[in-house]
Amino acid sequence: MKRAPAGVRMHRALVLALAGTLAGSLALATPALAQRTHLLVVTGLGGEPVYSDAFVRQGGALVDLARAQWHVADSSLTWLAEDVARDPRISGAATRAVIGDAILALSRRVAPGDVVVVVLIGHGSNEGPASRVNMPGADPTAAEFQAWIAGFSRQTVVFVVAASGSGDFATVLKGPGRVVITASRVYERNESKFAEQFVRGLASTDADADKDGRLTVMESFTYATREVAKAYESDRKLQTEHPTVSDSVLAARTVYAATTQSGDPRIVALVAERKALEEELERLRARKATMPAADYDKELERLVVAIAEKSVAIRALEGRP
Amino acid sequence: MMRRANRYVLGAALRAALVVALFVALATPFAAGAQGAAASDRTARVTAAERSLLRGDRPAAAREGRAIVADYEQNGARWPARDRIAAGRAYLLVADGDAGAVRSALRAFDAAAAADSSLDEAVLRASDLFLEKYVAPDALQGYESVLRRRPGNAWATLGLARVMAFTGKGDALGKANEALAADPRLVPALLFVAERHLEAEHNDSAVAASRRAIAIDAEALEAWAVIGAVAWISGDSAGFRAARAQAERVSPRPATFWVSVSEAAARQRRYADAERFAERALDLDSLFAPALGAVGTNRLRTGQIAEGRAIIERAFAIDPFSLWHFNTLELLDVLAGFRTVRMGRFEFVAPAREADLLLPYLSPLLEEAYDKLAARYDYRPEAPVRMEIYSRHADFSVRTVGLTGLGALGVSFGRLLAIDAPSAREPGSFNWGSTSWHELTHTFTLGLSGNRVPRWFSEGVSVFEERRARPGWGATATPVYIAALKSNFLRPVSQLNDGFVRPRNQHEVILSYYHASLVAEMIEAEFGAPALGAMLRGWRDGLTNIEVFRRALKLDEAALDRRFDTWVRARFARELAAARTDMGTDSAVVGDADLEPLLAQAAREQAAGKDSALVLTIERILWIWPYDQPTHVRLAEAALRAGMPGKAVRERRAVSTLGPSDLLGARVELARALLAAGDRTGARRELLDVLEQAPTYEKAQVLLLQLRSAPPGAAP
Repeated sequence: MKRAPAGVRMHRALVLALAGTLAGSLALATPALAQRTHLLVVTGLGGEPVYSDAFVRQGGALVDLARAQWHVADSSLTWLAEDVARDPRISGAATRAVIGDAILALSRRVAPGDVVVVVLIGHGSNEGPASRVNMPGADPTAAEFQAWIAGFSRQTVVFVVAASGSGDFATVLKGPGRVVITASRVYERNESKFAEQFVRGLASTDADADKDGRLTVMESFTYATREVAKAYESDRKLQTEHPTVSDSVLAARTVYAATTQSGDPRIVALVAERKALEEELERLRARKATMPAADYDKELERLVVAIAEKSVAIRALEGRP
Repeated sequence: MMRRANRYVLGAALRAALVVALFVALATPFAAGAQGAAASDRTARVTAAERSLLRGDRPAAAREGRAIVADYEQNGARWPARDRIAAGRAYLLVADGDAGAVRSALRAFDAAAAADSSLDEAVLRASDLFLEKYVAPDALQGYESVLRRRPGNAWATLGLARVMAFTGKGDALGKANEALAADPRLVPALLFVAERHLEAEHNDSAVAASRRAIAIDAEALEAWAVIGAVAWISGDSAGFRAARAQAERVSPRPATFWVSVSEAAARQRRYADAERFAERALDLDSLFAPALGAVGTNRLRTGQIAEGRAIIERAFAIDPFSLWHFNTLELLDVLAGFRTVRMGRFEFVAPAREADLLLPYLSPLLEEAYDKLAARYDYRPEAPVRMEIYSRHADFSVRTVGLTGLGALGVSFGRLLAIDAPSAREPGSFNWGSTSWHELTHTFTLGLSGNRVPRWFSEGVSVFEERRARPGWGATATPVYIAALKSNFLRPVSQLNDGFVRPRNQHEVILSYYHASLVAEMIEAEFGAPALGAMLRGWRDGLTNIEVFRRALKLDEAALDRRFDTWVRARFARELAAARTDMGTDSAVVGDADLEPLLAQAAREQAAGKDSALVLTIERILWIWPYDQPTHVRLAEAALRAGMPGKAVRERRAVSTLGPSDLLGARVELARALLAAGDRTGARRELLDVLEQAPTYEKAQVLLLQLRSAPPGAAP
């Protein structure tokens, strides 16, 4: 019996030692999560089958890409919609009460530094604080959304109103730590093409303007804005919606995907070296106008080749071709 | 920019401003009567002043006009209705450069109408003024109101004819003849008829109407102008000198005469002559806005853009209501934002985006066309040939005729060509490659003939050359054409020009293009390759059509008509045997812009892995619609597979130009194509540019490292 505790202690020590070893080997193999992303998608009333179908298609695409590309945990992924029966991925009805509850539930799961993405898709109307996107039953207003998300003070909130008549949401919702994207300006009310382009940008690699594999909120906004303009131009129609973003600096810093940090010190070192080279390149670009073109090109090539070689080395350690 | 803004407002507000003037005048209390005794005096004075202007004495006309206007502005409230009409006419004598005077004239006419509602002349003069200032709806309203009161009124009926001519809707000539039936001595109606005949190249009828006008009013200067124009067109120098002498008898400074001859020359596409005649008019009256307009317009047509603009600015300052000048100046502002690119023997002027996309295709095509046409016709137009490309059809239309609404796709003024960019039209509307080839052919036929080639022949050769430029280009026979041929609707060669200038139904112009192209084809087939060039040189030498046929083909008109008729019926014998004679309402000619069959063909070739054929088919698609990115990508991929890396590079550049969603990705693909084409320097440049913006872009990094590690000359 006396041995038992010793045995237990020994066992605990062993477990701790093993745990330490395991943790060490896990740290080598498994990246540590640095930022978590949470997503709430709300698709509103379509009114006509063509819109209902489009909203469901867009909502489903968001859920899928959040899971696959942003690494959002199922517990942090909620899709509320007009008709729950339309798609098994839908979590609940997009009623005012359910939306409020979903945001409340989300607030209990988040940690400081997380990114909370809320996307409203539907038909909206600009009415100042009473602005809304049509939902089954009473519509939640912009002011109510403002109250519901007020608690996310230690997170970055990305609030996307991909709806017609959404301009007033930006005025009501904007604030520190928030990026508010709207499909249209304050006085624009016509049907919106924004949601389609916004979702398309998130789902493809095209929107990743600097091709670093990390899609920022600003990149997705820029992509959608450009594609909306092109859609009107291609239809030869006057553009009746102009998307807005409330905080472009924060938007440029915020990425959708949960970020990871390698546990392999060799990779960490290479990433740091590559980062230093990127910063050197940034400084070079700043001097471009003052340098002879040939000198600039030579230095540019030296740096981009060095960066490329670091990338090759990183990929090799990660086991990627 | 400020002045342009004013112009814009003017254009938009013109009608409103004049209409407001009308209502203000109607609302003004009117004191009738007081100085009735002076009425005939004022009318006589203003008539005399108008005669002074006709004779070229602008200062005397303006002096008298100012005197009447000053009197009217001080005492006009007491003037009787007829004197108010005289006041309106006096305002018009001092209206050069003064839009306010035009409005005052309108107010005076309206005040006259308000004072005496039975006075049709007031309404008719107001309507004439509206029409002169391009406000056709209000003019129409005035003429119709008079006709309601006095059915058959000749002046009002003539007004309707003018509105029809302005709007291009209705039988203007028929309506003018109605006016003449009501009043056979209505000289303005005779002049209108004469000018319509001149425009339609019915020269004998034009002269006859002019002589009737002169018999009634020996001072009808415009009638002598028509006679002079006909004489000049016909090469009748004695007749021209006689008409000019008569015009100088009427007026020692007959600027109107020279402007009319200038306009007739321009209609014959003899723009240098048109410019020269308009300059003569300007020498006689430096403030004559139509002369300034004619000089400016013809300078623009001969590529003298800055000089033309300066003259049009002067014309517009004198006549600020001129829609033509307003539109043209607006267009020149647009043109100033275009990019000018000199490539080989061509100077292209186009919106930057269109230039980037279209010129890699257009420049080689036109160089090829130039070489082939130069060899065929033994003639080399002076370089550069300027081609303007418009992405808004309205701009192209203004460039061509000064107004919007032109149905054409391209135009050739000789060494200046203008075309719609494909984006100016719906996809599948036209083939911009064959259109460019067509217009450049006109450069040769106009240049070789000294601009004397008749329209039917020039168009016929252009369509014929299109047809042999590329498979599927140029018009082809349709059931409508065969039906027209079977029913003897189509005109013989000797009258084929009428098919263009006096079409008898909605099909005839387009049928005449194809018919004329068959004439060209027949001449080359039956008389040898040099025959077409020989005919053009005949016209250059001042020969008539009959003389040209005799010299080049050894045939008289009737024999040529018979020869062609036999040839064309033999060629389509099988189709004629099975054809109907009813033309119906189908399209007259199937063109070369039908996308659907080409898309289907491309799909079949792709499925069968026939990459070389696929490349050719997609290139045909691009000559119809070059704005679809996936089509360019498809062509780039097929070209690489088919071992045509140069074409792959061109297509990858096109993708980048079209503003793809993933521009950096597109540029990496361009770098890949450049490498395949052996252009390591170009590929390296693209990759460095991409990585400068996106230093961690894997695809670009991999390609750059491959490029650096591969030895020169080896594909990475």
